[in-house]
Amino acid sequence: MDEARHTLVPAPRRPADPAPVRVLVADDEDDIRSLVCVAVAKSGGVVVDSVADGTAALTAARAGSPDVVVLDVSMPGATGLEVCAALRAEPSTAGIRVLLLSAGASLDDVAVGLAAGADAYLAKPFAVSGLVHQLRTLTERQPA
Amino acid sequence: MTTAVLDRGTARPRLQAGLTEAWRSAVLGPLPCSVMFGTAALLMATGTLPVTDVELVLAGLATALAAITTAWLSPSAGHVRAVAVPLANLGAVGLVYAGTDSPAALFLLVSPLYGLVSHPRRAGVATAVLGTLTVLLVPELLGAGSSSWATEPASLVLGPLVVGLGGAAVHESGRRLTAQAAAIQRLQDEQAALLEQVQSRADELDQASRILAARAQTMTSVIDAVTEQSIIGTDPDGTIRVWNPGAEKLLGLLRADVVRQRSIVEFHLPEELEEVAAAHGAAVGLDALVHAAQEHGSDVRDWTYVGADGRTRTVSVAVTPRTDDRGVHAGWNFVGTDMTEVRATERMKDQFVSLISHELRTPLTSILGYLELVLDDEDRTLTDEQRQYLSTVERNADRLLRLVGDLLFTARVEAGQFTLQPEDVDLVGIVRAAEETARVAAATAGVELVVEVPDDAVVVSGDAVRLGQACDNLVSNAVKFTPAGGRVTLTVEADRQDGRPVARMSVRDTGIGIPNDEQGKLFTRFFRASTATRNAVPGVGLGLTITKAITTAHGGSLDLASVEGEGTTFTLTLPREA
Repeated sequence: MDEARHTLVPAPRRPADPAPVRVLVADDEDDIRSLVCVAVAKSGGVVVDSVADGTAALTAARAGSPDVVVLDVSMPGATGLEVCAALRAEPSTAGIRVLLLSAGASLDDVAVGLAAGADAYLAKPFAVSGLVHQLRTLTERQPA
Repeated sequence: MTTAVLDRGTARPRLQAGLTEAWRSAVLGPLPCSVMFGTAALLMATGTLPVTDVELVLAGLATALAAITTAWLSPSAGHVRAVAVPLANLGAVGLVYAGTDSPAALFLLVSPLYGLVSHPRRAGVATAVLGTLTVLLVPELLGAGSSSWATEPASLVLGPLVVGLGGAAVHESGRRLTAQAAAIQRLQDEQAALLEQVQSRADELDQASRILAARAQTMTSVIDAVTEQSIIGTDPDGTIRVWNPGAEKLLGLLRADVVRQRSIVEFHLPEELEEVAAAHGAAVGLDALVHAAQEHGSDVRDWTYVGADGRTRTVSVAVTPRTDDRGVHAGWNFVGTDMTEVRATERMKDQFVSLISHELRTPLTSILGYLELVLDDEDRTLTDEQRQYLSTVERNADRLLRLVGDLLFTARVEAGQFTLQPEDVDLVGIVRAAEETARVAAATAGVELVVEVPDDAVVVSGDAVRLGQACDNLVSNAVKFTPAGGRVTLTVEADRQDGRPVARMSVRDTGIGIPNDEQGKLFTRFFRASTATRNAVPGVGLGLTITKAITTAHGGSLDLASVEGEGTTFTLTLPREA
């Protein structure tokens, strides 16, 4: 985890109105991407955007400044880990919360993901309820 | 050869010594006397030495003949030849002297007198003096002599006196000669003994050198026969001394181009040596290669060898110290096995496992995720039948997921990528959790689950998740293999084994059991007991493999006791801190 970086470069403050949380989902598997979008949408008050590869994810994140990015680790273009690291490296995107999804379930895989700067890590297959819970936790941790 | 030289050196002196002794025996013995009496007889027969009394002369010659014959027949060192024969000869001389009445006959005294004075004891000289005096007086005593000079007092004094002095001188010379001869003989004996010892030692050395040569030949032939493993021996400073055909093949250099000319370090990647040196605080170079073997007695690990053509090979190298015949450190042995292809295959296997992991987990994610969405959709309720169907789908998807997890775990164990997160773990808690997990399945199968644990915690150092997985596997198996009405008992106890504290976790069932001849294979991957297949108990044969791997990784053991038709007990024993 790179908490220090979060402290040094906080995400832009959001208005106090109940504006929807913007979530960007990046996964090259159509079915998984749809599943995540549906699951995220079910939690309410969320605007979901989705892309199918790492390069598009980086572009969309830079352009749209989402609150949370859900990244599949294994993607064409750039891997989720690379996208995560790139987001953390840029001040304008460093504060975006990142949730990594991966088929790698070992402790080593989790450690690598967190070391890349992710805020949370979910191993596939994941419970939809668990994903929703993680997203809520991340959005609650948004700096006030 | 040395043996032949030594034989020539000892045979000739022995022959010479034998001939010398025979000649000496004859010269000092009867030969002179025989010659002298023979000559005297010849002189008398030809009239050169006139005979005055034939009877006395014949008696003298007969006595001499008898004495000489006795001398020839008796042993050279006996008293007969040394004393009796000379005395008899003196008597014979006296008779011949009386029978010829000529002083010339007295020359016959020389031989017997010499025999007497040569006797080792001085009494021989005295006997010679008395004998001489007697011979001089014989003609007078027998009344046969007419010469007057011999019986004159001067002759009677001077004759024995000359004999006495001369005899004493001869006796002394003889004694010295005898002593010197004895000393020479002793030295010769000692020399012969020494030569025998030298020969014996030479034989031993010869035999030892043959044995050593044979051993060296055996060792060389064995080392030379190894073509698929590199065997490299070095000096303490790393200079190569042994380079077998396996090393030639692996590194592309002939023995003659390497031995005594190159260092083992030259065949290693410098950056790898630097890396190891930095990690272990060793010096760069040979020290990096041998520090672990120096510390632990031996070391086996993968190294990268660089061949003559610059090609790199991944080699599993066993490093051991080498000692000479006195046990002094003489260098290092490096026995290497080319693992380049094996490691590449392992990497491919890892990649394959990773790929399969992704490819299986991704569709399972979709299946389980969408099932969850459908089953939990509060807006559109399902019919009971639909819910039952979808629950079956979900249950089987979960089963498939567990199978994928087991396969991945097994592959990770095989690849050595299985790591533990150790902490203090209470086995009582683990067993209670396992009972809770299996409770529904046991109730469904009509199997009674019994937990027998102590009140106090039984704590071991281990990975709680993995130990829970191991216990779940054992309990799940026990339930699956126990018919309805049976019982599965879970126990935990703190005990001691070989004086060391251990914790035992046992799962005992009253199930179908495992045939004796299959028990040894039970922990093999994908093995299923015949009782399992006969009774159509579901499974793929990975649970016990995984449980065994987890136990081993914790430094424990997994034991099995089973009787077909009666039941099975698995006991997991783990080291426990006192």
